[in-house]
Amino acid sequence: MTLDAWFIIGTIVGLGSTITCIVAAAMKKKPNDITLLTLAAVELFIVAYTIGSLVRILSGQDMVGEPWEFWGYMFTAAMLPVAGFYWAMMERTHWSNYVMSAVGITVVVMLARMAQIWYGTTMAAQALQQGIGS
Amino acid sequence: MSTPDTNTQVAPHGRTTGAGRLLITVYGIFAISATVRASFQIIFHFADAPLAYLLSAFAAVVYIVATISLAKPGPGWAKLATISICIELVGVLVIGAASVFDPAAFPHATVWSTFGRGYGFVPLLLPIIGLIWLYRHRESK
Repeated sequence: MTLDAWFIIGTIVGLGSTITCIVAAAMKKKPNDITLLTLAAVELFIVAYTIGSLVRILSGQDMVGEPWEFWGYMFTAAMLPVAGFYWAMMERTHWSNYVMSAVGITVVVMLARMAQIWYGTTMAAQALQQGIGS
Repeated sequence: MSTPDTNTQVAPHGRTTGAGRLLITVYGIFAISATVRASFQIIFHFADAPLAYLLSAFAAVVYIVATISLAKPGPGWAKLATISICIELVGVLVIGAASVFDPAAFPHATVWSTFGRGYGFVPLLLPIIGLIWLYRHRESK
């Protein structure tokens, strides 16, 4: 998997959000402006990544893997902060911060998979296939 | 004993609140990702590995049922959650063991292959945590 600037920035934003939310939850804080803003930062990054990817495709750089898979991940990643926000706001306790902490790390995992699709590295399936020696 | 001040709130008790919401969130993430992945596998590559992709679809359905039943209050939903999570546990153990002992039979990854290694072993831990959670919040008849 190639580490490009998108993945590195996305990882910083995503993990930053997760760590902030976990710390806030451990301090028994209810969701506040800080934890909600980290979620907004994740969403903003996904929007920027969408625009950036469109620009790359329009300028002739195409992804190696399957576009539907890439955009499927992109769409799901864009929905996660929204869903996490609603799910957290329905019950405002410090547990809501733990719920929101799940968003950032999940987006990072999806970004890793998206980078694999973009640069064309097959995923864990390859590790599973060593048993058949191909 | 300390009196809780107004800013820190005592976590609510109940199957669908507090830490339960985190469990439901993680189940929800797995339900969505398993459903999307299985749908696309079946639509675009079904002929490659029908068994693996049908298992993916089955896993997705189990995760959906588990997520919904965990999120709904009431003893009936708790029972459905217990059943679906037991199926999930059996699934991850059987598929996990089968994929380890006979990798050739499972060349295409499902969410449960090698006990969910591709997903950080979360698929193996999730049903165990889920059953413990349901047991600790069982409702007396």
